Amino acid sequence: MSYDYLFKYIIIGDTGVGKSCLLLQFTDKRFQPVHDLTIGVEFGARMVTIDGKPIKLQIWDTAGQESFRSITRSYYRGAAGALLVYDITRRETFNHLASWLEDARQHANPNMTIMLVGNKCDLAHRRAVSKEEGEQFAKENGLLFLEASARTAQQVEEAFVKTAAKILQKIQEGVFDVSNETSGIKVGYGRPSTAAGGRDGTVASAGGCCS
Amino acid sequence: MDFVSGYKGVVGRVFGNDNATSNEDSYVERLLDRINNGTKAEDRRMAMVELQSVVAENHSAQLAFGAMGLPVLLSVLKDERDDVEMVRGALETLVSSLTPLNHAKTTKVEVEPSKMNADLLSREVDNISLLLSLLAEDDFYVRYYTLQVLTALLTNSLSRLQESILAIPRGITRLMDMLMDREVIRNEALLLLTYLTREAEEIQKIVVFEGAFEKIFTIMKEEGGSDGGVVVQDCLQLLNNILRNNTSNQTLLRETVGFDPVISLLKLRGVSYSFTQQKTINLLSTLETVNMLIASGPHAETGKDTNSMTNKTALVQRKVLDYLLMLGVESQWAPVAVRCAALHCIGDLIAQHPKNTDELARKVLGEEPQAEPALNSILRIILRTSSMQEFIDADYVFKNFCEKNPDGQKLLSSTLTPQPHSMVHAPSEDDVNMSFGSMLLHGLTMSESDGDLEICARAASILSHLLKDNTQCKEKALKVELGPTPQSMGTPEPLMHRMVKYLAVASSMDSKDGTSNGKPNLYIQEMILKLLIIWLVDCPSAVQCFLDARPHLTYLLELLSNQSATVCTRGLAAVLLGECVLYNKCIETGKDAFGIVDTISQKAGLTSYFLKFDEMQRSFLFSSKKLSEERKPVTRSSGASMVEVEDHENDARMEDERNEEHPILASLFDADFVAIVGSLESNIRDKFVDVYSNPKAKVAVVPAELERKNGESEGDYINRLKSFVEKQCSEIQTGANPQQKTSGSSDRFQVENFRRDLREASQRIEMLKNEKSKLENDVSTYQDLASKMESELKSLSDAYYSLEQAYTQVEKEAKSSKTGGATPYPDIEAIKAQVREESQKESEAELSDLLVCLGQEQSKVERLTARLLELGEDVDKLLEGVGDDIGLPEDDDEDED
Repeated sequence: MSYDYLFKYIIIGDTGVGKSCLLLQFTDKRFQPVHDLTIGVEFGARMVTIDGKPIKLQIWDTAGQESFRSITRSYYRGAAGALLVYDITRRETFNHLASWLEDARQHANPNMTIMLVGNKCDLAHRRAVSKEEGEQFAKENGLLFLEASARTAQQVEEAFVKTAAKILQKIQEGVFDVSNETSGIKVGYGRPSTAAGGRDGTVASAGGCCS
Repeated sequence: MDFVSGYKGVVGRVFGNDNATSNEDSYVERLLDRINNGTKAEDRRMAMVELQSVVAENHSAQLAFGAMGLPVLLSVLKDERDDVEMVRGALETLVSSLTPLNHAKTTKVEVEPSKMNADLLSREVDNISLLLSLLAEDDFYVRYYTLQVLTALLTNSLSRLQESILAIPRGITRLMDMLMDREVIRNEALLLLTYLTREAEEIQKIVVFEGAFEKIFTIMKEEGGSDGGVVVQDCLQLLNNILRNNTSNQTLLRETVGFDPVISLLKLRGVSYSFTQQKTINLLSTLETVNMLIASGPHAETGKDTNSMTNKTALVQRKVLDYLLMLGVESQWAPVAVRCAALHCIGDLIAQHPKNTDELARKVLGEEPQAEPALNSILRIILRTSSMQEFIDADYVFKNFCEKNPDGQKLLSSTLTPQPHSMVHAPSEDDVNMSFGSMLLHGLTMSESDGDLEICARAASILSHLLKDNTQCKEKALKVELGPTPQSMGTPEPLMHRMVKYLAVASSMDSKDGTSNGKPNLYIQEMILKLLIIWLVDCPSAVQCFLDARPHLTYLLELLSNQSATVCTRGLAAVLLGECVLYNKCIETGKDAFGIVDTISQKAGLTSYFLKFDEMQRSFLFSSKKLSEERKPVTRSSGASMVEVEDHENDARMEDERNEEHPILASLFDADFVAIVGSLESNIRDKFVDVYSNPKAKVAVVPAELERKNGESEGDYINRLKSFVEKQCSEIQTGANPQQKTSGSSDRFQVENFRRDLREASQRIEMLKNEKSKLENDVSTYQDLASKMESELKSLSDAYYSLEQAYTQVEKEAKSSKTGGATPYPDIEAIKAQVREESQKESEAELSDLLVCLGQEQSKVERLTARLLELGEDVDKLLEGVGDDIGLPEDDDEDED
C-alpha cells in the first residue's frame, strides 16, 4: 500500500463519451459495453509506477449529465489531474469541450494537468472528429492529448500514466506546494523526506509490519 | 461571551414581563431601526448587543425578530464586513434567534419561533452562501458563530440545507477546511458535518474527496483513540455517516487509507482496562463501523456483496479477529454491550466466508498452559453467561461457523465423547483442558441436577448447528452414549434419548410452576425440539434411534395436544412426528411409517394434527417482519442510554413481552430454520398421502376394523376397505392447508380446461381433413370428366376433318369429271352445295353441344375453385396437374390445419 505520491484525478466530459468505461478499463482491465448512467460521482483507484516511483491514483469518475454539474464541480478544486473526454464519433461532444474547459479553469486549481482524450478510436469508420482537430484544440489550450479506446484498451493506460508523469514533472519543477491539500497531491508514507513522518509515520509502519 | 452576560441581567430586569408582547415588538423594532439607520457606530453596536440579549431570552422578541430582523442583520453581514464587532454581534443574534427557548410560559405557543426563524433564513440559497463566505473571515468568533448558525439551520431543515450547500460551489470544501482549524472550531465543524452527511450520498462522497478519512483519523489519534472523549465519538459518528451504505466510500477507505486506523481503535491500551461510559460508546461506535463494512444489509445491491466480501477479507487480514476476540471473549472488563457487539461482528466476519471461518478455527486464546481454541472459549461463554443477548450473539458465531462448513462441523463434533466420570462433577473452572465436544456434552447434561435446563438448551442449540445438514456428524452424535445416571438405573443411555428426556422434564416443570424462578422455560422446549428436528432431517437412523424407545412417541403425541404448551412447541412437535414418518425406514410393525401415521390419526386425529402446523405458521415468528430488525446507530443522544439499556435489556424485555416474542425465539427461528420447517411441512403432507395410498404398507399392519369379517363376501370387503380409505383421504384433504387445496383444485380445473380445448381442436382438424378429401375427390372426378369431353371433342373434330377431306375429294373428282367433258349429272353443283350445307349444319350442332357442355364444366370448376380458396387450398397447385392428367400432388397435407 505504500506509495511515494497520491494523485487525485477527475474524469469529465459529456454524457456517454465513455468516462466510466475508461476508468473500468484502467482499474479492472475489462470493458462493459452497456454501462449504467453514472449518478453523481463514482470512485476507482490504482497503483502505477513512474520513473520507479510507486504512485497511487485516486480517480473520481463524474456524471456527464448537465443536472449533476453542480455536484461534480465540487470535485474540481481538489484534483491534480483531469481527463477531459470526448467521443470521436459524436461531433457535439467535441464542440462542448470549450465549456468543460471553462468550468475547469473556473473551479479547479490552476496547475491542474488536463489530458484531452478522444475516446472510441476503434470506431474509425464512424469518425466525426479528426485526430488533427483534437491535437489542435489541445495545443491551443495547453492540454495533453491522445486518442484512446476503452473497448480495445488501446492507449487507456497511457492516458492515465502520461498525466501522472506530467504531474510528477511539475512537482519536480517545484510548481506545486505538495503540503497543500488543494493541489490534489499527497506525499506518501513510503517517502523518507517531508513532514508526513512524525506520529503518522510510526502508526503507519506499525500497521504495515506487525502482520 | 462574557460581555454578553453583563447585559442579560439588565435586559432581564427591564423586560421581566413576558406578556407585554406589543412592548417587545416595538422594542425589537426600535433596536432594528437603530441598527439599520443609526449613524454613530457606537450606538449601533449597543443596539445590536441589546437585540441579541432580548432575542436570547424572550419568546415573543424571538418571534418579532424573525418577522422584521433578518433582512437588517443580513445586510450587516453582507455590507459591513469591516466592522468585525457588528458582524460578530449580528451572528450571535442569529444564533440566539435559532435557539429554542425553554420557557415555562411558552406552552400556549403553536409554533416554535426558533424553527420559524430557521425556516425563513434557510429559504434563500444566497443566505447560506453568505454564511459560508463568512467562514473565510479571520476573526475567530465570526467563524465560530457562523458554524453555530449553520448547525442550527441543519437541525431544523436538513434536506433544504443539504441541497443548498451542494449547489454552492466549494461549499463543502469550506466546511471541510474548518476541520483543520482551531480546536473549538474544529469540534463545531465536526458536529456540523455529522448532520450534513446524514443520508446524503453525494455530500458523503464530496466530504471523502476532500480528505475526510485522513482528517477524521488524525483527530481521533490526537484525542487518544477509543480512550478519547466525546470528540472521538463525534468523529466516529461522522465516519459512520460517510460509510453507511456507501460502497464507493468504503472502497476508497479500503484502497487508500486502509482499515488499520479503524482496527487500531479496537485495540485496548494500557493496563487499567477501565471502561468508562465514554470508552464504551466509542468502542460500540467503532464496532458499528466494522459492522457497516461487512454487513450486506437490507440495501444490498448486486455489487454490494462483493464489496462486503472484500471488506471481510481485508479486515481479517489486518488482524481484526484478534482485537474482536480480545473484546468479546478475553477481556473480563468489557461491558456486556461491547462483548455482544464484538461477538456479533465475529459472526458477520465469518458468514459465508470460508477463509475467515478457517482463520477463526485456528485462533488460540490465552497463554500456555492455559491456551485453548477460541471456539472453546466462545462455547464457554454460551454455557456460562448470564446475559441473554451475549448468548444470542455467541450462538450467532457458531451458527455462521457451521453454515456450509462440513469440515468445521466434523472438526468440532469429532470430540463428542463423554468425559471420564471423574470429571463430570469437576468444578467447571477445570474445563480449560476439555475438548470442545466434551465441554458441549458436559453442558448438555450438567444442569440436570439443579433442574435448570437453561444451559442444556443453549448447548442443544450449539449441537443443532453442528449437526445441521451433516449426515456424518449426525451418525457420530447418535453413537454418543452417556454414562449411567441415578435416573437411568445403571445402563448407558444414547444422547438423543437423554435430550428427549430433558424435553419431557422441561414440560413437566412448565406445568408445575408456570414461570419457575422468573426465568420460565419459554424457549427450552423449542430449542430442544429444534435440535431434534434438525437431527432427524434426512437421517433414517436418527429416526430409528428416536423410535427405539416407545414412550417417545407417546410423549410427543401428548405434547401435541398439550394445551399449556405454546403454539410453537406444539407445532414443532408436529414437525418432529412428521419427520418420524417422512424419514422412516423401519420395517418393524408399529414403528414403520404407516404405523406412526395410524397412531397419529387415532390419538390426535389428522385434522388436528395438521392444524398444529397452520397455527405455528401463523405465529409472529414465522412472519417475515421480524427479520428486518436492525441495530440502531449510536448517536450522541442515544449513545449513553444505549450502553445502559443493553445491560438491562433482557429484564426489560422479559417484563413487558409475552413468551412468544422472546428475543431468543427470534434468533432461534431464523430465516433458515423457518425455511426448513416450511419445506418439511409440505413433504410431510405429501408423505402422509403417500403412506395411505401405498398398499404395501397397509398389508403390514391392518387395523382391527380393516380385517375381513367372517362370512363377509369378497366384494363387500373390498367396498368397505375402499370407503375406509376414501374417508381417510378426505380427512387428510380437509386437514390439508386450504391454500394448497385451492391451488391444487384450480390446477386440476385448468388441466381439465386444457384437455377439453385439446379435444375440440382435434375434432375440428378431423372435420377439416374429411372435407378436404371430399373436395379432392370432386376435383378428380371433374378432371376426368373434362378430359373425356376433350377427347370426344377431338374425335368429333377428326370426324369433321375426314368429312371435309372426303368432300374435297369428291369435289376434285367432280371437277375432273366435269373437265373430262361429259357431264352426266348437270345438277352436281346443287348437290354439292346441299351436301356441304348439310354436313356443316351437322357438325355445327355437335360443336355447340360440346361448347355448352364445356361451359357448364367451366362454371363448375370455377365454383369449386372459389370454394377451395375459401377453405385455404392452394388452387393453382391443385390445378397444376389438371392438364397433365396426373393425380393430385400429395404434399397438400400441411394445409389441413
